Parts: sequence; structure tokens; C-alpha cells
Amino acid sequence: MGESTVRQQVMTSITMDGVSKYFDGGETVANYRLNLEVDDGEFLVILGPSGCGKTTALRLVAGLEEPSEGDIYFDDERVNRWSPSERNVAMVFQNYALYPHMSVRENIAYPLKVRGIPPDERDRRIEEVTELLHIEGQIGKRPAALSGGQRQRVALARAIVREPSVFLLDEPLSNLDAKLRQEMRSELKRLQDELGITTIYVTHNQEEAMSMADTVVVMNRGTIQQISPPEELYSRPRTEWVARFIGSPPMNLFEGERRNGSIAIGEAGTVDLESVAGVRGIDATSTSTSTSASASASLSDDLSLGVRPEDLFLSSERPTSGNALEGTVDTVEPLGEYTLVNVAVDDRLVKVKVGDADVTRGEEVWLTFDDEDAYLYDENGELVTQAPSPQPTEGR
Amino acid sequence: MSLRDYVDALDADATPGLSVEIDREKAVALAVFLIPGMTLFGIFSVGPIVYSAVGSFFSWDAFSMQQFTGLENWIRTFRDPLIINWENLRRWRFPMGALAQNLLWVVLHVPISTVLGLAMALLFADLRGRRILRSMVFLGFTVPTIVIGLVLLFIYDPQAGVFNELLRVIGMEHQVRNWTQSPQVAIYALIAGGIWVQTGFNMLLYSSALAAIDPSLIESAKIDGAGPYRRFRDIIWPLVRPVTAVVVIMGIIWVLRVFDIVYAAGGSAGGPNHAYSVLGIEVYRAAFEPPIDYGKAMVVALVQLVIVAPLAAYIARMG
Repeated sequence: MGESTVRQQVMTSITMDGVSKYFDGGETVANYRLNLEVDDGEFLVILGPSGCGKTTALRLVAGLEEPSEGDIYFDDERVNRWSPSERNVAMVFQNYALYPHMSVRENIAYPLKVRGIPPDERDRRIEEVTELLHIEGQIGKRPAALSGGQRQRVALARAIVREPSVFLLDEPLSNLDAKLRQEMRSELKRLQDELGITTIYVTHNQEEAMSMADTVVVMNRGTIQQISPPEELYSRPRTEWVARFIGSPPMNLFEGERRNGSIAIGEAGTVDLESVAGVRGIDATSTSTSTSASASASLSDDLSLGVRPEDLFLSSERPTSGNALEGTVDTVEPLGEYTLVNVAVDDRLVKVKVGDADVTRGEEVWLTFDDEDAYLYDENGELVTQAPSPQPTEGR
Repeated sequence: MSLRDYVDALDADATPGLSVEIDREKAVALAVFLIPGMTLFGIFSVGPIVYSAVGSFFSWDAFSMQQFTGLENWIRTFRDPLIINWENLRRWRFPMGALAQNLLWVVLHVPISTVLGLAMALLFADLRGRRILRSMVFLGFTVPTIVIGLVLLFIYDPQAGVFNELLRVIGMEHQVRNWTQSPQVAIYALIAGGIWVQTGFNMLLYSSALAAIDPSLIESAKIDGAGPYRRFRDIIWPLVRPVTAVVVIMGIIWVLRVFDIVYAAGGSAGGPNHAYSVLGIEVYRAAFEPPIDYGKAMVVALVQLVIVAPLAAYIARMG
């Protein structure tokens, strides 16, 4: 089955081409038409809420599930029917899946033993990997005698020791406490940098995703919402859903209606559409400028205006120029590092992140923001992007 | 005595006095809860055991104890060819005596029903319709063993029996016989029936043990490169080994107490010329059928107990 070609290669690129996975005879759609490319040595994070199909996607790559439709390629080989061991993947499970009846040493040695690697080579590799992960002292213990962090390291060691071509991690840090999670996060990142193994990492924690990934894949309800580097995910959320999912607290979305070159946000005020759209190079004057899906729908009548809490400013007087929306202070949450002010705008709560708030409950305030901090989403929840034009945009 | 003194006095002996008080209360409570259980246990378990232990050293006239005879009962029992027939044992001819035959049950029944139980549990683990299949296999265990014995009689019947019919169909007509009444093969036929019953029980124990294994362990082994056989040998088997201890010991205990199946097939004689008698049958005959030999019945029952007790104790401590 051409497994030898894969095994000899240290690194592998992965391609998912229209991969769908159905369960219960098609009743449950776990993944729908995933298209994804992972480069050699890339650290890719699949991010999404629980039940979004991210673990199924990982299991498809691992070979623990077979795709119902579509193809998976490792380099140029179609691997749909290959077993996990033929794919030479290593996986770290959420609960670590350490063999409880084996010592740490036996656990790490197991994949080597199964692959018939001679004992002295085995010993050398085990020594190397236990040193790398600082678990030399635990080698004789059973998994039950280890702490959560140590188990995590053993699971990683067992995955690394085989020198796999692909490294799959399924929420590996979710069972650790906050402090340990942060430690392991940077350690994992360092490890992946050093080893350069193609890695797919599944998590529901956006902080993990943002801090570790080269590329983030955001999934929701079995489909891919956006694939982009972490910074872009924050600066250019492609859909309303992603905008609401990324950031803490996430982006505020104002539902508005297009009215003569401006957007009316209920009773709170209007925002000049031309200047907001103009920053992004969108032609606000015509309604169907191009054939591209998002652009043609871009200037529909129902629009959402998104502004991140950190990009909103509070002002107790109506500003003379610029974008301003009127609201009433609902609650003030001082969080030390910053203060979160909840402002009722047009019957909806808007979160504003400010350094220091001298407002009180019930106070009338105006929210202001810069044109380039505003995002427009059309009625389908897609980011209104510039129509394909020769002009380049700088994003933000 | 002033009030002050009185309070001081209270303080002075408060701690030791109180603890004694509590201990006494605790002891009373313990006794109250223990007495009913212990009384029943004493009357129906410890009493008879002690009674037969003592009685096995006395001579008996029917059901009344006569005089102390030392080891006479024991020596007589172990020299009884109905218990061990050394001559036949050497030539491997039935009857070999109830003890030897009972041990043959252990040697065949226990390993085979254990392996079959595990095999079925593994087979049914990811099979469609496993619940129905599992219930069908387990059904055997829910049937009273005396009925199993009767069913075996039907199955092995020379004319109407399914088993002989099967032999005729596959062209082994010369093997057709009345299986339960042929001294040299009958015991195997009965053991097969016993295995059928026990397999269902063992399968159930193994099924729950398999269900308790974290599926990610098996998947992890798959990813580590282990094929089905290695996954079984390295992961599944070590994890179900504790259950195996229970299965084996329960099997041994069950087999050493086997009575109904044998009684249904061969009556109180344990088959033609006692060809498949077991210890339970010997106790029954010695105690309840003339000529009554109460001393022997007690000795045989004690032999059963001596073999089973340590196994039972092991299981009880495993928890």
C-alpha cells in the first residue's frame, strides 16, 4: 500500500478534499465538505465549540474513522483506507489513554515494541524523549501514580518517541489546571518548533489556538468557517459567527438597516456607511458591483455592524464628528486590568472595554469608534469585503 | 458542694467519661445490628459445619450420633471406590469415583467455559444485535439446572435427540448412542451441558469488563500500530484479567457443587454403575438413601468445603 514511502518521510503535508463524515446512516452530519491543507511542519489548530465536529475531523486524519465522502491525502497519496499505523500518525487523546497496567516506561516503549524496534534502540529513544519532557524520574511508576501534568507528558512522550510524520492532539490540555495549561502550552509550542512535525491540534479554547497556531481553522456545526493565521482571525473574522466566537469578550454586533448611504442602528443613531465601507474599499453607492458572492450581497438592506469591545470608546457628550451611538450604562464590571462597561444600546447590551470608567449606572453615554475598527456583515452573516478591484487593501 | 465545684468536676472527667460512654453505646448498637444476622449465620452455616466436622469422627446409627471412632469414617470414605477408584483411574475407565469424576469436571468445564465466555464477549462486543444474542446465551444460566439436566436428556436421546440426529445428518451414524447412559462417554456429554450453562454467565461477566475498558485505550493501541491480536494480548487481556480470576473461581465452585444436572440424567446413583457420579450425589445418597451412612456423607461434604472455602475466601477478599 505504499506505506514505506510515508514511513521514510519525517514530514508530511495533509490535504482534505471535500471530506464529509456522516453517522447513523446519514442522519448525523459530523463533518460536511471539509477542504483543508496542512503544510509540512505546520502547526494547525482546529478551533470550535463542543460538538462542532473538530474531533471527528481529527479522527478522520488519524484513520480512526473513514470519510463518507471526499479524499484525504498525505503528501500525494490517497490514504482514505489506510490504517492509523500505516499513516504513521501519533495521537494524544484528551484523557491521555495511557495503558493503566503498564509502567511509564512500558507505555512509552509500546509503540516501538509493536513496530519491532530493537531493545537498545528503544532504550536510547526512551531516554532521549523522557529527558526532553523531564519525566526521567517517573519511568518506573504506573500512570495512576502520576499527576495530571505528568500523565500529559507521558502521553506526549509516547507520541513523540515514534518519530511520527503527523502529530495529532485532541484537546490535550483540557484536563489540566489553568497554571499548568499555560506552562504546557508554551512547552508544546517549543516542542513542535524543535521537532518540526506536522501537527493538528484540536481545542475549544481560543487562547490556546491563538497562541500556538500557525494557522487556525474555525469550525462550527461540521463546517469550516474560516482558515487563517491567528492575527487575521482576530482582525478579519470572515463571518458573524466567527466574530462572535473570537475575542474575549467577543465582538459586539449591531443590527442595522441600510438607509441612504448610512446604517440606522435602531434608535441609537446612524453610522455613515460610505466612510465605514470606504476604509475597506467597498463601493457603497451601488448594490451589486460584482459577481462574487459576498460582494454581490454586500449592500443588502439588512446589515450588521461589528465593533470589538476594545475598539469602542465612551463619551458622556455627543461627539461633534465621527461615528457615535447613543446608549445607557447598564452595569460596570471593574476587572483590574480593565473595566467592562455594559451599555444598553437599542435594547441590546453592548460590552465596552475601557481602562478606567467614570460612568455610573443609568448614565447616558455615546459610543464612538473609528471607521477602520468597524466590520460589516451582510444578511447571510458574511463579512462584506471589498469588491474584486485593482485596489489593494491593507485589511485594517 | 458548690456549683463551681460541680462544674469543675464535670470538666475533670468529661473527656474520659464521655469516650467510655460512646464506646459502650457503639458496642450496644453494633450488637443490636449484628445479632439477627449472626444468629441466622450461626444456626444455618457455622452450626452445621461444626456439627458435621465433629460428627465425621463419630459412628452413626441412622441420624443419631453413637460413639467416637476417630478417623474411621475418613479412612473408610477415602478407601471407598465410589469416591476414588484407583484401579479404574489408572486404566482411565469409568467409574473412577465421585471425587475423581468431579475433578474431571473442574479440569474440563472451567477452562472451556472461561475461554468460550471470553470469546463470545469479544465477538458480541461490536456486533449488531449483540443484546439479543447476549440474552440468548445468558438464558441458559437463568434456567434451573435440574431443567438443564432434563433438556440434556432430550438432546442426547437415542431416538428423538437432536444431537444424535445431527450425527446422522453429518453421516456419523456409527456414533449414535444413548449418550447419557453410556458409561465411558456420558460424563463428557454432561460436562458439555454444564459448559453451555456457565458460558452465558462468564460471557456476561466478561462483557461488562470489556465495556469498562476505555475505548480510547484500544484506539491508542491501534495508532501505536498494534493489530487485533496484539491489542488483545497487550491491552484487553491484562485489563480483563481480574475478571478472569472471578470467572475461574466461580466456575470451580459451581462445578464442585454440581448436582442437579447429574441427578436429572443419572438419578441418585450418578449414572449406570455410578459412571458419572459427583461429590454432591455421594453426599445425597449416603445421607438420604438406605443404607444411610451419615458419617460418610459428612466426610464428603467436608471435602467439598475444604476445596471450595479457600477459593471463596479469595473472591471475597478481592473486592
